[in-house]
Amino acid sequence: MDSLLTGYRALDLTDEKGFMCGKILGAMGVDVIKIEKPGGDSSRNIFPYVNDVQDPEQSLYWLAFNTDKRGITLNLKNKDGKDLFTRLVQRADFVIESFQPGYMEDLGLGYGALSGINPRIIVTSITPFGQSGPYAHFKASNLVTYAMSGVMMTNGDLDRAPVKEAVDVTYYEAGAHAALGTIIAHYHRERTGEGQQVDVSIQESTANRDSINLYVWEFDKRFLQRTGNKSLVGANVPSQWIWPCKDGYIFWAFRGGPVPMGTPGNQALSKWLDEEGAENPFKTVNCSKGLDMASLPRETLDIFESMLGRFFLMHTRQEITERAFQTGMQAWGVSDPAEVMKNPQLDARAFWKKVENSEPNQEILYPGYFFLCSETENFIKRQAPHIGEHNEEIYIGELGLSKDKINVLKKRGII
Amino acid sequence: MKTEDKRIQALEGVKVLDFGWALAGSLNTKHLADHGAQVIRLETAKRQCMTRTNRQVSISSRTNPDDKPFFLHYNTSKYSLTLDIKHPRAREVLDRLIQWADVVNENFMPGTLTKLGLGYEDIQKIKPDIIMVSTSIFGQTGPYAHMGGVDGMGNAISGRLDLSGWPDRGPVSPSSCAFGDDILPLFTAMAIVAALDYRRKTGKGQYIDGAMLEVCANQIGPAFLDWQANGRIQTRNGNRIHEASPHGVFPCKGDDRWCAISVFTDEEWKAFCGVLGSPPWTKEERFRDLASRRTNEDELELFIAEWTSERDPQEVMRLMQKAGVCAGIVQDARDLMENDPQLKERNFLLNLKHPVLGVCAHPTPPYKLLKTPAQVKTAPCLGEHNDFICTRILGMPDEKFVELLQEGVFQ
Repeated sequence: MDSLLTGYRALDLTDEKGFMCGKILGAMGVDVIKIEKPGGDSSRNIFPYVNDVQDPEQSLYWLAFNTDKRGITLNLKNKDGKDLFTRLVQRADFVIESFQPGYMEDLGLGYGALSGINPRIIVTSITPFGQSGPYAHFKASNLVTYAMSGVMMTNGDLDRAPVKEAVDVTYYEAGAHAALGTIIAHYHRERTGEGQQVDVSIQESTANRDSINLYVWEFDKRFLQRTGNKSLVGANVPSQWIWPCKDGYIFWAFRGGPVPMGTPGNQALSKWLDEEGAENPFKTVNCSKGLDMASLPRETLDIFESMLGRFFLMHTRQEITERAFQTGMQAWGVSDPAEVMKNPQLDARAFWKKVENSEPNQEILYPGYFFLCSETENFIKRQAPHIGEHNEEIYIGELGLSKDKINVLKKRGII
Repeated sequence: MKTEDKRIQALEGVKVLDFGWALAGSLNTKHLADHGAQVIRLETAKRQCMTRTNRQVSISSRTNPDDKPFFLHYNTSKYSLTLDIKHPRAREVLDRLIQWADVVNENFMPGTLTKLGLGYEDIQKIKPDIIMVSTSIFGQTGPYAHMGGVDGMGNAISGRLDLSGWPDRGPVSPSSCAFGDDILPLFTAMAIVAALDYRRKTGKGQYIDGAMLEVCANQIGPAFLDWQANGRIQTRNGNRIHEASPHGVFPCKGDDRWCAISVFTDEEWKAFCGVLGSPPWTKEERFRDLASRRTNEDELELFIAEWTSERDPQEVMRLMQKAGVCAGIVQDARDLMENDPQLKERNFLLNLKHPVLGVCAHPTPPYKLLKTPAQVKTAPCLGEHNDFICTRILGMPDEKFVELLQEGVFQ
């Protein structure tokens, strides 16, 4: 079965800031060729490693985020290297890069030059702050772009420093935005023949989900506070969403609403409290016509949270999850990565996939797709490439270079 | 709403019928609308979207659906049609909209539209090459498909919440915003656009099923591989990572002001020490290389905090950046709105005039198509385009429109 974008090709020059974009396009069927400098990119040196041995061929971060890419090495600073690159650009549909703004231009390989070679080319540039502006050349890590996005200020507890979210969250968000922008540009190109550059800012990618923070400041000149396990999404008062339980944590969004007790989830929980003879805060207020959290005094909300908190502490994640499954309470135990891999829902949807070229001693399962389609298969298929793994396939098989020529290029450090 | 600007937009001509609501369903089609697709958002006054009832800011009332900045941010560039889809004559409008549309978007509880006779197969009968997309927490199939939920559930179940926060405390998520609700629509929007391209080549439409749980799980891919390859269950690690030290957020002068700093290489460490004026502690053996700094990171952070707390975050960032060290202010909402010269220069926030709320700043797409830029327009009022959509887009005679109006179809 085809994938959505079968038949197109991307050249991927990114480091960890831009891995995701090519990975996503690859899952959608694009033939992605990762181009690294000879010897391999420094982005291969990211924790964790297979058996904890630091080796650029064994980074699990690299393996996770570079699936569905073939890999070649090429020195773009050298004239012969540039010539080979321009030959590849002639037969490509996309170039994805995450160098400092201006770096590709300095090499003579900026969008202007590449569109001269192939007017249909789409060049997607993923950088911390975008191609223009006074911070365009600032250096950044995921922590720095997260800080600058505005989101970090509300993540964590008031008595401590703001804290980051899982893994490299800003790179994931930017990669997804980049893939979307690339595909929109592609749609335009297929209709008009016109290629273009897509300029992605990692800071802005994460800042895009900071809407509530922004308009609360704009309209009321008020800051939303860092309230740890409580949330202000869609709410006027912080209400608890993450609760400790007997064996860990659960997620259960304490919310108000227009139906009796606020929400069907509240009704289901109230019933459970009564069944077990526990203190029931829903009985302490008049909420037969709904629960308006904003109109309840903070002390009342505190009573709710302490009663419910005590109840959850007496139950395990599994008990709470099972109960929610039966009653529509909309709660779930906070799962660790090993538990996620046992989730029956993901199992039923065949989410976990093996990849081709898996090392024989590692039967590793990967998150297998980003979405399902009825007419196309958009699954991950291929393991991330070894350093220069497909040099011969591309340079000899496609560009028609001789084995001797390859050896000369290798000796000169071009591939 | 669309005539004054003559530049071609990338998705001009694409027609979207939008049952989407709340956050994920709204954003999905906002991305398309901002790039030129004609998106008709179906709403009903009887059961309004949470983003039309939310009263987080003082200007928002209980009664007016059009005074919520929440709705504005998530629904730019769309048209609004109020339609009571349970009304016996609603199908007279709906079926024509389906015939008109290239794409149908929805994010009700799985199965809801099918029960109303508007599932993918029903819609396909009316428009054989339709592209239909559904988004939900768990996906449309599987044992948990019919469990409802809010954004944080996707986070909790996917494992990513367990990796966010301090090692000695419980997991945390930002109080101000979602993650899954914002990230899932990026994937389904790209699937829609790619499916349009696929349809152009093959004539085939398709059904797209996006699950928040799955896109959230993809974000922590390395943690699943680590578990399988090494038997390690990753957990919260504060702000620290293996490749850099210091790598944290440090207190600055002012109330709740902070600056993030990351030092990866030996060269950056030397530059970093230089910025601090190379005090004696920077030469101590326990901070000599990355490995020793990681071992003694608690002490290291205390020394750095002493230096940063005497400076404001702008100064710390500027001094570090000048020396080639990664650093950035932990910006608050005011910084984003008023102080950040980078966001200002790039017009990240766009002021749009809204008939009820007046001028309101909107974030713009962080992916800029330099030849066909997004043209973001203010979000519609509830039912603002009922007349236009029925009589102009669908070509319905005025009498018929008035008749349906009087029967209460457009509620």
